[in-house]
Amino acid sequence: MSYNVYNVYMHFPVLAIMTLFVGAFCVTLAGKHEKVRNVIAGCAVLISFTLLALLVKPVMIDGNIITYWMGNWEPVEGYAIGIAIEVDALSLFFGLLITIAVACSCFYSYQYMKQDDARGSYFTLYLMLSGGVLGIVLSGDLFNIYVMLEVMTFAAVGLTAFRTWNPNAREAAFKYLVVGSIGSTCALLGTALVYAQCHTLNLAQISAILPGNLNPTTILAFALLFAGFGCKSFMFPFHPIAADAHGAAPSSVSVLISGVFTKTGVYGIIRVCYFLFRSMGLTSVQTMLVFIGCLSMFVCVTMALNQHDFKRLLAFHSISQIGYILTSLGLCTALGIAGGLYHAINHTLFKGLLFLTAGSVLYATGTTYLEKLGGLARKMPQTTALFLIGAFSISGIPPFNGFYSKWIIYQATFEKAAGGSIGYALVTVVCVVTSVLTLASFIKVGHSVFFGQANPELGNVKDPPLGMRVPMWILATLCVLTGLFPDLMLRYIIGPATAAVLNSVGYIDAAMGAGYAEAHLADPSLLAAPQLISIGAWQPASWLVLFVIVLLAVFLCSLLSRGNSARGLESDAKHAVFFGGERAEYSHISGGDLFWGFKHNLRGYLGFMSRVHTGVTNDYVLWGVTATAVIIAYCFVTM
Amino acid sequence: MMLANYIGAIALIVIGFYAMISKRDIIKIVVGMGIVDYGLNLMIVSIGFNEGGTAPIFTFGELVSGMYFVDPVPQALTLTSIVIGACVTAMALALCVRIYKEYGTLDTHEIRRLHG
Amino acid sequence: MDIMNIDIMDILMYAVYILIFPGLLFTCVFGLWLAGIDRKVVARMQHRKGPPLAQPAYDFLKLLGKECIVPDGAARITFLAAPWLGLASLVVTVLFIPIGGLQAFGTGGDTVVILYLLTIPTLAMILGGSASGSPFAGVGSSRTMVAIMSYELPLILIILAVGKAAGGYGVTFSLGQITLFQYLTAPFILDWRLVPAAIAMLFVIPCEVGQHPFDVGEAETEICEGPLVEYSGAPLAVFKLSHAIKMFVMTALFSALFLGGVTTGMLWLDIVLTLAFCSVVTLVCMSLLHAISARFRVEQLFKFFWTVVSGLALVSLLLVWFC
Repeated sequence: MSYNVYNVYMHFPVLAIMTLFVGAFCVTLAGKHEKVRNVIAGCAVLISFTLLALLVKPVMIDGNIITYWMGNWEPVEGYAIGIAIEVDALSLFFGLLITIAVACSCFYSYQYMKQDDARGSYFTLYLMLSGGVLGIVLSGDLFNIYVMLEVMTFAAVGLTAFRTWNPNAREAAFKYLVVGSIGSTCALLGTALVYAQCHTLNLAQISAILPGNLNPTTILAFALLFAGFGCKSFMFPFHPIAADAHGAAPSSVSVLISGVFTKTGVYGIIRVCYFLFRSMGLTSVQTMLVFIGCLSMFVCVTMALNQHDFKRLLAFHSISQIGYILTSLGLCTALGIAGGLYHAINHTLFKGLLFLTAGSVLYATGTTYLEKLGGLARKMPQTTALFLIGAFSISGIPPFNGFYSKWIIYQATFEKAAGGSIGYALVTVVCVVTSVLTLASFIKVGHSVFFGQANPELGNVKDPPLGMRVPMWILATLCVLTGLFPDLMLRYIIGPATAAVLNSVGYIDAAMGAGYAEAHLADPSLLAAPQLISIGAWQPASWLVLFVIVLLAVFLCSLLSRGNSARGLESDAKHAVFFGGERAEYSHISGGDLFWGFKHNLRGYLGFMSRVHTGVTNDYVLWGVTATAVIIAYCFVTM
Repeated sequence: MMLANYIGAIALIVIGFYAMISKRDIIKIVVGMGIVDYGLNLMIVSIGFNEGGTAPIFTFGELVSGMYFVDPVPQALTLTSIVIGACVTAMALALCVRIYKEYGTLDTHEIRRLHG
Repeated sequence: MDIMNIDIMDILMYAVYILIFPGLLFTCVFGLWLAGIDRKVVARMQHRKGPPLAQPAYDFLKLLGKECIVPDGAARITFLAAPWLGLASLVVTVLFIPIGGLQAFGTGGDTVVILYLLTIPTLAMILGGSASGSPFAGVGSSRTMVAIMSYELPLILIILAVGKAAGGYGVTFSLGQITLFQYLTAPFILDWRLVPAAIAMLFVIPCEVGQHPFDVGEAETEICEGPLVEYSGAPLAVFKLSHAIKMFVMTALFSALFLGGVTTGMLWLDIVLTLAFCSVVTLVCMSLLHAISARFRVEQLFKFFWTVVSGLALVSLLLVWFC
């Protein structure tokens, strides 16, 4: 295995990032010509995606790690001064899912953003956001990650406040900026402290020097970096701003903020915990991550059940799913990492799809307020089908993709529990209960938006135009495919990425030269070859294919047997729900009225949660600062 | 001497967070964010300081081993951080202006349409 | 994927599994039989004569011939497809459960997969009801979902307890391993640590099936059968059939979890044995409860399952873990 690939491939990552930033610049040059702007943006995202897709073979399959030194500033005497771009399977994994979401959302927004008045700068900000996100996951330099984090946050804040006609947008953007600044502050302070200890900012070199050298400064740095990236992944208790921002931003941007932006936080946590400090082996860090993950999972899913706005509900769900990912990554087993990464890509796909369907509803009806909608299934059949695919995926209904990753996560948590601690078995329980509550809240959305009685005010609503449907169908297809062929996914995508997470020696040596890790790692036991447990005892995929076959068979039988028994829709007394000749009254059971028995029993808890999410910026800052302080204190006590 | 810098930096950060937590005026919150930023910058630039070191401005010919100068990297970081901090402040103030136009107030307890 | 490169005999074999035994035909017949027993026994407990054993089958066949009316304002495709979706997922579920000594597929089967597959029929009912556009069905769907939320917590606790008990020093989700372990030692129902879990499971079964004391979703007296209110003809027949099959699936799951490993070595005898087990479980947890209790209210149901039933299952989990 050769670590450095001195061929054309090594230029691809930097080109992928640059294309997006140059695209952002060119979009501004294009000025008022909307078509030109669209073409430039489309080309930029497609080129970026293609460049990364071409890297799949050398990085994922052949197992190379690509290191690119900006300006050819290679390390001198074992010190990396230059800025590196380093792409291992983990970076590429995140890069791929980012570019897929960015591309789909970009094409969707051509039509979708037509409703906005000031859309001149939309693609500038959009491409800046994409470039920033891609920069984070491909960069091999800690400070560069911080800068990209800020670029990304800026663009995201700008896009959150973008909709001039959305009265809540500015408020959401402001909260997002203020609370997000806590995360940025923590990340920068952590970076500075790491530099004070290591005198380098190169990820690979830090990974060689830091592990095993725990002193108060490094512990503080670890806690701060953890909190900083945690804030960017909107983990509990940073979640309220995510809900505000996702809800207020245009749907095509919500896809990025929820599906992509949060992943950078997850990526950062992986790099910090598994590489820079290699502290993931410590039980205390595992406990912290799993605890935060479970808390995010459960709190946000119950918050989602309370919501009355389609997009705000989706926003809470996205943090809940991030909770799954964090929990799974916190297990520090190969199975757990694989489950977390699998769920990460699934989350991007299905949450992207769901936000786009929410956008379509907004596009068609002008509102996402659940109580004002209803019965759209007849008027928007394709959107309904897409929504159902997304909802089934996120609820983990087999054979869609959410099921498989959740299945791995259950396996991983339960196997971890076999090691002795019953606490991890309870984690499995929390995961399953969260999954059920997720299903419940999507039943709520399905019932109050797509099914039930048609709201008479929504007379001439119809499916969105083709330009919006195609990206959604692409995402839906990917949801189904990643669910049906987990073997292939594990072999070619998840497996290499999981191996990369456990292979920090390879990561160090690729950048600093072979043998560097062995010479510099303080604790030689950390050099142990990464152990890859075979993932899963058996593959459910083939049986899930069976499910489809059975379904088709039964459908065929039903079509043959039904014959003439199903008639056309005649609007007569026979087909009315009520009789008596009176006009049917509009009596839709709206979303807020559902699940009464559940809400009644948990009214104390739900009411409390609803009350403490006050919407006051100060409170959210207080939560964030407190969380940071608690994390710091916890790290000092236990590490 | 450096201890004073660190204490000062941490004091600034704490004061900034205090302002962000307790002040109801959103302009004051923005000021708080600024103070946190200054504390941070002070911290970073102090990290790179070497007692008695010279300015790190050399050409390749002058550079010999054994020279003593302050670490230039944190200064570069500080510069970047200052720029970013200025952008954050500008953006936040721009949002404040818009919020004042839309809500007619700067009080965070009244700017809470999004809650629950 | 191994399913792609199997030869023609295997395909025939799978076809037999899916369509005849233990798939569609067998489960239909046996599910309807269980439903018949249930009705008969309830009737006898109330000193009635009761309908003939085959009455559910007659009902099913009769409904098949009736006209299917799609109400105004219904989302037509979802409304018509939902029952078939539920039925298909039930048939797949059966293939995962070891019946007697025989499992449709050589591999272990997995409790989590079953757990998720079991939500699909109920989910189909919820979607169908929701798609009908009737407010009664809307309320019914909402209540059915509350029922799912209620029983899912105890069910996963039970699965974990059994999985730990059967794992030896490790843990397992594999039903194959769970039955094998019982075959080698003793059925779990005889293990005192798992008795609370077995009792909890006896409560979960009627709730999952939607049987009387827990049938909040269908509550005929208040909301006219909830999700099913607008259904007629073949789709309704399929729902009724699914209901009957669910009785079989859940009782068979109970047999596998707690009465597993009782085998005689002869396939037909094993099947008969399983059928006997299923019938007994049906009588205990469905007919008996049905006859002696009034229906729970929604919030009572939820509270009961999250406190009492979950508590029982949790006790079992703790006992298994620490004893």
